[in-house]
Amino acid sequence: MSKTYGILALFDTPPAIYEAAKSVRKAGYTKWDVITPCPLHGMDGAMGITRSKVPIFTFIGGFIGFWVGMFIAWYMGAYDYPLIVNGMPYFSPIFPFPVAYEMTILLAAFGTLGGMFVTNRLPMHYHPVMNYDRFERLTDDKFAVIIEAEDALFDMQKTREFLESFGPAEVTVITDEEEAE
Amino acid sequence: MSTSSDVMPAGVSAAGVKGPGNWSLRCLLIGIVFSLLSLFGLLFTTDASDPSRPFLGYMLAVVYWLSILIGMQFLIMLWWMFDAGWSVIIRRQFEHMISALPWLGVLLLPLVIMGLVDTQSGKVAWVWMSMDAPVAGTSGTVADDVLYLHKAPYLNNPFFLLRFFIYFAVWAGLAWAFRTWSFRMDATGDHKYVHRSRVLAAFGLFLSAMATTFASIDWFMTLNYHWFSTMFGVWYFSAAMRAALAAGVLVLFYMGSRTDGLKGIVNSAHYHFMGCLMLAFTVFWAYISFSQYFLIYNANIPEETFWYNIREMNKDGTYNSWWWISMALIFAYFLFPFLYLLWHRNKQGNRLKFIAIWILVFHFIDLYWNIMPQKLWADNEMGYDVRYFTVSWIDVTMFIGVGGIVLWSFLRSASQERPIPIRDPRIKESLNYHE
Repeated sequence: MSKTYGILALFDTPPAIYEAAKSVRKAGYTKWDVITPCPLHGMDGAMGITRSKVPIFTFIGGFIGFWVGMFIAWYMGAYDYPLIVNGMPYFSPIFPFPVAYEMTILLAAFGTLGGMFVTNRLPMHYHPVMNYDRFERLTDDKFAVIIEAEDALFDMQKTREFLESFGPAEVTVITDEEEAE
Repeated sequence: MSTSSDVMPAGVSAAGVKGPGNWSLRCLLIGIVFSLLSLFGLLFTTDASDPSRPFLGYMLAVVYWLSILIGMQFLIMLWWMFDAGWSVIIRRQFEHMISALPWLGVLLLPLVIMGLVDTQSGKVAWVWMSMDAPVAGTSGTVADDVLYLHKAPYLNNPFFLLRFFIYFAVWAGLAWAFRTWSFRMDATGDHKYVHRSRVLAAFGLFLSAMATTFASIDWFMTLNYHWFSTMFGVWYFSAAMRAALAAGVLVLFYMGSRTDGLKGIVNSAHYHFMGCLMLAFTVFWAYISFSQYFLIYNANIPEETFWYNIREMNKDGTYNSWWWISMALIFAYFLFPFLYLLWHRNKQGNRLKFIAIWILVFHFIDLYWNIMPQKLWADNEMGYDVRYFTVSWIDVTMFIGVGGIVLWSFLRSASQERPIPIRDPRIKESLNYHE
């Protein structure tokens, strides 16, 4: 069994893909993507991509880390095994600060890494575009726009004509191979 | 010789910021009038309970502006060292600003002369300069104080005077070299000035770091000369960097609003990166300030802890005004700007302008907190009082006076040279910079 994943248009140059991306966005498509072998400056703006959500994960990680660090110091120093050290109180926010600070950085880093995986939906070992016979060129010197069949505006005939109007090198239908049962 | 072709965006005048809105002469007039007024107050006002208060107010205002210029000079050198491309148009604004460095030496000189000449009136806050001054908290004088005698090979008038001139020779000399070479590159396009500036920046960072560290020891730390902290010089550096970035952002907004300045040249990415640096140095300042407190707290040695004690409580253990300032510094000078600058949208436009002004206000309070509290001699059983947080008129007039001089120097330089270094090899990278 196989079903249509979307229509892919292949371009040779960054300016061509940049203009195509702007037009696709203007036409109102929402489920589409651009595949390029390298980062293109300004592509985020052309595609209308808003800022990454990763900093939220970083902040949550750091926030938890700070309080975990403080909790460890309180639990060990003031609750589980109270011990007078250097005439200082059992617990104070001052001396465990380096611990809390290091935990903040550690968990903020974990949050960043985890957030990157979550927002990018990684790990992703299979993507329908891999079925494209010239997929390797997309990691080398070609640029592609792909509009997914799940998009509300998707129409096999009209979307194909729409993409062809940009003068791409080729327009192909990408199919999604489903596993045999 | 390698050169680059002219890169002249439309609107960049050859002669810089001129004409309406360039109030350099007004600034100079205000600067001279208010500085003289403050000097008059320094010399002729007397306050029996705290005779050295005008001296500190005068110094505070000068070192406030000095910190901004030192920080900008550090940033110029850092950008040379890292061969930074994005910052080239900002570097030129800082080159205009640091033209005021020699003048700050002139403004600070009356304090040094006063310290050398006036050993009787008690108006000089550097108490160790007069041998027969009573030491607050003890029954003796400076000449009897074993802690002074131990430090006398460093803390003596001739060496102090020599060091004063070395510091300003370093700062003003570096400012002269970086400015001259950058402007010559505008005229000739000769890239040898880039290589020269980069070599000088490598040595200059070291020299300026030394000068800044020892200047803060000489001028601020010796106000309580029993006390010592190896973090103190780094604190002044970190505070200077925060102030320089905040002031630098305001300079960018001013220049960015002028068609003969940077209008259409400075873009959101430049502001965003200045905001990122502000965030980084907010954390750095907190790290340094806290580290100093943390080490002294843990070591718990009376010679060190008294410095924090007088910033927290009175003789009888009740909180004094410095305790509230301490809390304000933690929550309003670190925590709030830190959380605020984490947000991307706060590093643009009016939101960035707001936090820059906020940081510049609290920078002054931070200087108050670090410099002003001092043990004052008092005839009571504990032998000392603490100078509380007050704002005296001389703090304000001198702040305006030094500010007038600095802004005059900046505007004069900005009216004589181009607003961007048009023949810098990385100017195109800076003009086209984006996130």
